[in-house]
Amino acid sequence: MSEEFPESEDRPDPTDDGLAIDTRVIPDEAGAPLAIELGVTDLDVAAEPVALSQWQLFVRRFKRHKLAIGSLVTLILIFVLCFVIAPIFLTAPQDQRSNLTLGSTGPSWQHPFGTDELGRDMWARILYGGQISLRIGVGVAVVSTLLGTFFGAIAGLYGKAVDQVIMRATDLVLILPAIAVLAVALQRFGQKPNNIVFVLAGLFWMQIARVVRGLTLSLKEKEFVEGARAAGASNFRIIVRHILPNCIGPIMVNLTLSIAVAIITESTLSFLGYGVVPPDVSWGYLLYTARTKYNHDVHLVLFPGLAILVTVLAVNALGDGLRDALDPHAKH
Amino acid sequence: MLTLVLRRFLISIPLLLIATFLVFWMVRSTQAFDPTARLAQSRDPSVVQNERERLGLDDPIPVQYGRWLKDAVTGDLGESQTKHEEVTSMLQRSFWNTLQLILWGALFSAVVAMIIGVYSAVKQYSIGDYVFTSLTYIGIAMPPFVFGLLAIAYLAVWPKQTWGLDKPPLEFVGLHTTGQSGLNWDYIKHLVLPVLTLTVQIVASWTRYQRAATLDVLSSDYVRTARAKGVPRRKVIIKHAVRNSLIPLVTVMAVDIGLLFGGLLITEQIFSIPGMGRLFLNALQTGDAPVILGYILVAGVFVVLFNLIADVMYGVLDPRVRLS
Amino acid sequence: MAFGSKRDGNLAVEVLPERATWGGPLLEVRDLSVRFPTEDGLVNAVDHLNFDLRANEVLGIVGESGSGKSVTSLAILGLLPKTAQITGEILFCGQNLLDMTERQLQDLRGRRMAMIFQDSLAALNPVYTVGTQIAEAITVHQEIEKADLNDRVAELLNIVGIPNPKERAGQYPHEYSGGMRQRAMIAMSIANDPDVLIADEPTTALDVTIQAQVLDTLERVESRTSSSVILITHDLGVVAGVTQRIMVMYAGRTAEIGTVNEVFYEPCHPYTQGLLASLPRIDRRTSDRLHRIVGQPPSLIHVPPGCAFHPRCPMAEVPGVCNTDEPPLIEVGTTHWSACHFADRLLAEAKDRQYGQ
Repeated sequence: MSEEFPESEDRPDPTDDGLAIDTRVIPDEAGAPLAIELGVTDLDVAAEPVALSQWQLFVRRFKRHKLAIGSLVTLILIFVLCFVIAPIFLTAPQDQRSNLTLGSTGPSWQHPFGTDELGRDMWARILYGGQISLRIGVGVAVVSTLLGTFFGAIAGLYGKAVDQVIMRATDLVLILPAIAVLAVALQRFGQKPNNIVFVLAGLFWMQIARVVRGLTLSLKEKEFVEGARAAGASNFRIIVRHILPNCIGPIMVNLTLSIAVAIITESTLSFLGYGVVPPDVSWGYLLYTARTKYNHDVHLVLFPGLAILVTVLAVNALGDGLRDALDPHAKH
Repeated sequence: MLTLVLRRFLISIPLLLIATFLVFWMVRSTQAFDPTARLAQSRDPSVVQNERERLGLDDPIPVQYGRWLKDAVTGDLGESQTKHEEVTSMLQRSFWNTLQLILWGALFSAVVAMIIGVYSAVKQYSIGDYVFTSLTYIGIAMPPFVFGLLAIAYLAVWPKQTWGLDKPPLEFVGLHTTGQSGLNWDYIKHLVLPVLTLTVQIVASWTRYQRAATLDVLSSDYVRTARAKGVPRRKVIIKHAVRNSLIPLVTVMAVDIGLLFGGLLITEQIFSIPGMGRLFLNALQTGDAPVILGYILVAGVFVVLFNLIADVMYGVLDPRVRLS
Repeated sequence: MAFGSKRDGNLAVEVLPERATWGGPLLEVRDLSVRFPTEDGLVNAVDHLNFDLRANEVLGIVGESGSGKSVTSLAILGLLPKTAQITGEILFCGQNLLDMTERQLQDLRGRRMAMIFQDSLAALNPVYTVGTQIAEAITVHQEIEKADLNDRVAELLNIVGIPNPKERAGQYPHEYSGGMRQRAMIAMSIANDPDVLIADEPTTALDVTIQAQVLDTLERVESRTSSSVILITHDLGVVAGVTQRIMVMYAGRTAEIGTVNEVFYEPCHPYTQGLLASLPRIDRRTSDRLHRIVGQPPSLIHVPPGCAFHPRCPMAEVPGVCNTDEPPLIEVGTTHWSACHFADRLLAEAKDRQYGQ
């Protein structure tokens, strides 16, 4: 083993003596956060700092992340396939006629993903199934983010009793076995996709609330809030102009990553038979019908499974890319 | 520290009560779980009515919950609606199988995650690191049931069919071949696929975390001090880097134990393992309310216990917490 | 104190003379340059640095953040990241440290050269006791009995003035106060009686009163062990009392180097003058505004051409020699150099002020 010491390329700047001011976020006169990055205006002269807005910085960093760009493209492709191409060119699962003489076949030119045991085209079933899976995934993420942000912000901003109550509520999600409880809840509330969105969101908001609460708590303590308050800004103004803009980034990242978790959760529930049920079709449901098919018709397992895997991978990569673009120095 | 741990433990108890109450309410208000459903076929309405009175189903839900809870605390979880067996004994029978999965799963995940995580951190940006990082990306994105089905298809069935074996190289039904028991080769062949399925997401997540924690520690000031003292590389990595990275890792592991419970349902279902998860799923199928509630309660208690252990471990590992 | 290195058969150990037999300067830094590639460009952290550290002396290195002082010390110990591009020579007792392998450097670190860092809480491992960490410094370089080891640890803690050393050795870093922790770090660094001790901003994070205690400890340690000390700081007040010679750094280069008296009373560089003038002084009128050096420290990626200080210099000739030619180190006295084109003029003015008043 060589004696060279392993080093992380994420090391802190070796030229930093630890005494420099954090110049990354400084409010301008209007109070909006500005970021200062060194740029060069004229090569003959010593470099002048060029102020880039946070949005410009964010876009610049995101563009460097090839994996995230690739994921974004992949996701757009998937969405287009499911929501645009499928309704126009393919027949919906409920309209497909069974072709029992055909039975289940493997991938072919006519049926890129094969057919199921009733002879129905899997390509169409997967794309239509994608509509439901994606709708539920995004729906859960959006609803739970709205709920979670609201409660988390209140907890962080108003503190004390309100904070305690909300925090205890979010601890519930850690105690209960999630899939089991969700399955029970869906039996109670029904298994239509809209119900699924709200039931899942009812569990997911808790995680987001914790994150937002942590965010607001730390932002509350930051100097620029103190400065604004000292300058006489009202609570409302502080929240809107100082705290919220700094929250949006992490909230967006969390929203993206929860889409992935939501898709996995829905498909797990559907696989057990307690999620999406006919006449609706989702990727998880397709796997439910294929759950004994590992002997012969593996394609019935493989393609819906890949659909889930690729989508979730892309969403995760996108979320990671967003997170790195927002703050490359953050420790995840 | 003891007071802190105790306080956290005591807070979990009312939380557990609230959680189980919510589930209880949902169960009682769901048609599918109505204990008198079977009797609805009988033409005599008084039979249903009598049963309802016997079970106290017309009392307000909090009262019913209180009754259930009182019995549960003394170890009586009621009787299964479909199997005429005490719920407690049903859970006890299946508990051992579930526990095996959990223990092997946790052990496997921890060992693999630590080894690969540290390796990846120490050899950052090497080919090995790149491969492992990609694998963790895939592992986190892979729903366990997809992995399980594909694993059976390609690691058990396909080899058997292609190579003409009379038994698949890795078994996928139950934990032992009928008639066998004990810690033997047959047992291991049965364990591989279920444990992999159960832990695929967890290993990936823990590996990533270990890698990040190790990298973090490697660039810390105290590691720099150790190097400045002349401590050789291997010792720095083990005595300082790995030791300190255990602290955040333990918390992550404790929280993810909850994930293990979720994965159990899938694993026991796919691999036909007679554990608590499968018991629960069957109960869900047949609308067997007492079993459903029993499972949720036991699972909740488990999570609370695991968190307690994690808190204690945290104190053992980090003197700053111990002495506060 | 006699000791044997565990790494026998090592080239550096055999060839490297002991302090007593080596007559020359302990450290000779020749034309040292350190550059870091970053995504914004190449950072010139240290640029053609030259200085010596002699036996039995305390050298102060003074400069702002980004002046390159810490990078220099890390370069000496070989603790810079792999991406650092280092050129020049760092001679330790005549041997170039930059030519040595990691293993050879490991043998020297903690034994012949030691370093203490600014943030003592972060620099000590929180999960091991202070005693364990001091013991590690010893056992890495010596074979020693457990009982003797404990005694030695207690002795070291005692030298730096920590009361109840046996008890304190069993405590964790967070149980110490800031000043005590810093002194424990000093104890750890002198465990093997090093020739060179580098103290990187040892007092910056401490209260003024504690600062004095730590500096005092440093002084005592230095006189007792006759090692040489490099004291790195941005605080002129700190160097005034403790050091014999001072090197002022700016933008990775030497601005001025000389004895304490020469630098303080006859500064020959506008930057040094600016630093001295901006010290709050009790004898000034309170209605006078605090003097400051205008402008910001320069970008190390795009270092100003010619003299790095010229954009902020009150007497710069621009356009002229100041923004075209990089000033060499001009000898203004046998022990006094300054990197300013007008060093001689400044010296004359300084002497006038000193004696002409």
